[in-house]
Amino acid sequence: MSAALQISGLRQTFTTARGTVHALADVDLDVPAGSFVSLIGPSGCGKSTLLRCIADLVTPTAGQVLVGGKTARQARLDRDYGIAFQAAGLLGWRSVLRNVELPLELQGVPRARRRARAAELLELVGLAEVGRMRPEELSGGMQQRVAIARALATEPPLLLMDEPFGALDEMTRERLQTELLAICARTATTVVFVTHSIAEAVFLSSHVVVMSARPGRIVRVVDVDLPTRGEGTRQDPAFFARLTEVREALRGPAGSPVAAGAGTEDR
Amino acid sequence: MSAARRAGAALLGVAALLLLWEAYRAFGPLQGVQLGGERVLPRADPRSMPGVLEVLREAVAPEVAVPGAHSVAVAVLTAAGGTLRTALGGWLLGALVGVALAVPMQRLRLLERAVLPWVVLSQTVPVIAIAPLVAGWGGRLRLGADAVWQPWMSVVVISAFLAFCPVAVGMLRGLHSPAPAAVELFRSCAASHRQVLLRLRLPASLPFLAPALRLAAAQAVVGAIVAEISTGTRGGIGRLLVTYAQQATSAPGRLYVAILGAAALGLVVAGLATLLDAAVLRPGLRRTPRRRPAPGGLPA
Repeated sequence: MSAALQISGLRQTFTTARGTVHALADVDLDVPAGSFVSLIGPSGCGKSTLLRCIADLVTPTAGQVLVGGKTARQARLDRDYGIAFQAAGLLGWRSVLRNVELPLELQGVPRARRRARAAELLELVGLAEVGRMRPEELSGGMQQRVAIARALATEPPLLLMDEPFGALDEMTRERLQTELLAICARTATTVVFVTHSIAEAVFLSSHVVVMSARPGRIVRVVDVDLPTRGEGTRQDPAFFARLTEVREALRGPAGSPVAAGAGTEDR
Repeated sequence: MSAARRAGAALLGVAALLLLWEAYRAFGPLQGVQLGGERVLPRADPRSMPGVLEVLREAVAPEVAVPGAHSVAVAVLTAAGGTLRTALGGWLLGALVGVALAVPMQRLRLLERAVLPWVVLSQTVPVIAIAPLVAGWGGRLRLGADAVWQPWMSVVVISAFLAFCPVAVGMLRGLHSPAPAAVELFRSCAASHRQVLLRLRLPASLPFLAPALRLAAAQAVVGAIVAEISTGTRGGIGRLLVTYAQQATSAPGRLYVAILGAAALGLVVAGLATLLDAAVLRPGLRRTPRRRPAPGGLPA
């Protein structure tokens, strides 16, 4: 399989009043097309920064990011990825349908075509009925599904997600995880997914990239080879085995526990 | 509260005020009350405090003692109408200038740092200081072969000078109001600066623009009246206030008719601003900003 994403020698440092922060150090990662990769690690490990480097929202200090063989900047200009953040970030003055249309509108797609496409996407995320409503009339989970529909609007080969379910309750979260897998299977999209939930990472991913903090670097990549994924998967012994593997990788070499999972992090 | 009850309460307030006025006239000391040489309560004689009925009589009385002359009320309404036109002109011009300043200021931080302090500082210059300057500069302008600078144009410019500031400040805050994530979303879609402005920043700024426009409307009216007085422009309520104040000894009620006219002018402009607010801010827009705009939109 060809690589949807190639990262080599990526380094990111920020200069603050208190000195230089090494957000990312020597990150190398190849993501094959069609795979689902989760970035997991303690707060401040640079997983969001890594995602933002891929999205060309920040420029790395050193190293290279290739998205489908293009530079990150060219990929952004060619609209080769869709992105969803922890906050759904829907525009309150637009209807739900017109929110989904937005990326197509910015691309200059004619009105009738983009409207039809947006309606299709809303159906894909199970919200065909709410197109005319205002975002504020939807629940948090529904808003997040609209944001996913919007990220998929231009049919990007790559989907970037920064803790998209982080603000949702556990039940909504698990339902949306299952739905996301179904959507990805249907659209054959490559996904890079930032999370700090171990269960979420293992359930969704074909590869879990475990990162450590200060400086942010990749500790280990855990391959998750579960045959099928559904609600039953969460009770599968193979699922638990992978959970343990990721948890141990997060804990790091014996004797140096890393506070993993808890809390929200700022990017 | 229902609309009817609100209107009733407002009328009750006006009635109470009139009653208080008449009661002081009836029972207050004729020479007022003095404390340590300072008058703390006004004289209650008819010349200092004309009665409500007297003011009304004065309103319908002819303005000059010539047969067929129009009444004081008509003179006041005509003058208020004239000032309304110049104030609206100043409001519009001020709003345009405010928006035209805010958009580049949002785009270039350097420009914001360089210009914004002057925008705020400009409001500390008293109108009576700039009014003669504007009138003087205008008088030297040649607009065309047969068009010369009219005095009312000076009034519009001075009125706009007061009105542009709240619009510039409010609009700038509105343009800055979208969340960083929303800006990044547009960036991720490779949106141009123009698209970010038209599809994100302008719609997001509307809830901030509306209160700024309301404040600017009030400023424009004050600016127009003061400008009329300090440039001596005829045909407006400002000039009439001065004229009637000079006649206060012979006809004390007239000044109050003019004051009522000026108040009515303020109410009309405030009403227009509210209508515009309701038209621009359709219900769906009202709840958008994450940060609520401060009332008035001006820094304290």
